Amino acid sequence: MAAPNLTRLIYRNIRVNTDVASLVILLGLPAMYLIFFGYGFQSVIQGTTGGSATSYLAFLAPGIMAFQAVMAGTVGGSMLWADRRWGMLAQLLVGPFTRIEYLFGIMLTSLLFGLGGAAIMMGIAVVLVGSTTLTVTGALVVFGSIALGSIFFGSLMLLISALVKSNNAYNSIQVLIIFFVNFASTVFYPFNASLPGALQVLFSINPLTYIADTARAGYTGTLSGHNGLEMLVLAIETVVLLILATRAYLRSDVSTE
Amino acid sequence: MSSLPTGTPLIEAQDLRHSYDGKVFALDGISFSIGRGEVFGLLGRNGAGKSTLIKAMTTLIQPTSGRLRILGLDPRRDGRRIRERIGVVQQSESFDFTTVEGNLDLYGYLWGVPKAERARRAEELLRRYGLEGFRRRRSFDLSGGQKRRVQVAREFMHDMDILFLDEPTVGLDIVMRRTLLDSIRTEVDRGLTVVFTTHNLEEADYLCDRIAVVDAGRVLALDTVANLKRLYSGKRTVDLSVAPEDGPRFFPALVEAMGSTATITTRNNTAVLLVDDPKPALAGVVELSQRLGVQIEWLTVRQNTLEDVFLRSIDRSDTGGPHGRP
Repeated sequence: MAAPNLTRLIYRNIRVNTDVASLVILLGLPAMYLIFFGYGFQSVIQGTTGGSATSYLAFLAPGIMAFQAVMAGTVGGSMLWADRRWGMLAQLLVGPFTRIEYLFGIMLTSLLFGLGGAAIMMGIAVVLVGSTTLTVTGALVVFGSIALGSIFFGSLMLLISALVKSNNAYNSIQVLIIFFVNFASTVFYPFNASLPGALQVLFSINPLTYIADTARAGYTGTLSGHNGLEMLVLAIETVVLLILATRAYLRSDVSTE
Repeated sequence: MSSLPTGTPLIEAQDLRHSYDGKVFALDGISFSIGRGEVFGLLGRNGAGKSTLIKAMTTLIQPTSGRLRILGLDPRRDGRRIRERIGVVQQSESFDFTTVEGNLDLYGYLWGVPKAERARRAEELLRRYGLEGFRRRRSFDLSGGQKRRVQVAREFMHDMDILFLDEPTVGLDIVMRRTLLDSIRTEVDRGLTVVFTTHNLEEADYLCDRIAVVDAGRVLALDTVANLKRLYSGKRTVDLSVAPEDGPRFFPALVEAMGSTATITTRNNTAVLLVDDPKPALAGVVELSQRLGVQIEWLTVRQNTLEDVFLRSIDRSDTGGPHGRP
């Protein structure tokens, strides 16, 4: 018996997007952030704060897990972009699939990439810094926040790839988003009052801050009501963005001609 | 494939109209019917509306107005059920980032073809389309013709009732073109219905049972190849060419001199005359050229071809009718 349509689309998405280059971007880049930034900045932070040998790595590790949500989102947007660019979108849509199935195929593939990448980063983190505080509940919170974040960033990238017409524009926007979202969040450094005012605003409205904060709290067993509020805001933003992305995609021209 | 009797209408279009911008109609009142087991050709210039028509029939776009039934189903309501029973080779390239073999297998998987059957079909198609030597090459690394072969072969990984081929032979060499056309003909003999767009009139002549000449979103002529040619049966075609600078004064004079004895179409410095008897026409052309001091570069007489039918249909569309007798 043939697998359901959505399963077939997800299998296809994984199969055509797990080449070496894609995996290096998806997993290698965050792993390099974790290792190079973790050990590199550790010495600076140790020198200025006198922190323990693994304290910055321990801070950074959950942030890098959260960063997988952004990477998964970019993979989702790139899948739509590449399928449109190389004619497979139109080809699939004259096959036995609906537009919505195709869209959800991409979203769920992004989700799987996000969760898989986060699990690998968690494995690396456990090896590098250990985890004596991670509980089942904490792990569920980590993966839950990353799942929500993957859908958020997947929707954002799908929206952009549905609207933007040129490859260069798409790539430029994607690089800019990754940069701003990544470095104006609590992935690499904590939010504190000494940050410039503009950066504080960017930190506060950046969904990746919510994901990183919640993942970190889940990983270190320090969950609070504030994390629940952050997830609620993120969930609302995700629903809005998903609706916008779906509308833009349904209205977009599927052909390459 | 469908068990319906040969000739049962599988595609019915009535007064189809479609506009992308609400102003210009890419389809402007097209009507036709295609029966099971038929090879239906769509001939037309670039931008004539062929691809838009294919998109409508494959449910990629919804026509602005008119009635369309594919396999007895309404594309607006039953898009998926239609798409489950059709195959489409689109004009533009479409590949996944994997090997030739991987593309065939993955495409079969997407259509729900069981693994063993996918392997069997892939082997057969790789052999049939001369792709065995490239099976492990990435599709994007192939030449244009090889890519086209993969694209066509891929579509036969699944079963279908109707196959839409949008200029499938572009980039193929002569041998592979004939292989493809013969392969399609074999499938048609088994009951497959084919809608085929092409610029190549020899292909249309070789493969199609009926042809619709499309221009500006309208069907200008629709009949069997034999009947279309018969429209001009008993007539001969006289082709002639003059120096480019002589065309503007020679051709109007030629139209006047021939009167109702010839249907004349002109393009740049060439003219095509459709006549019942070529002898007086040749004499008239020579006499006129001598009188005007125009040198004829070449002058030939031949049988009518499908190309003549096509060009005359298009010419009527451009000018509202050819010169001389209709």
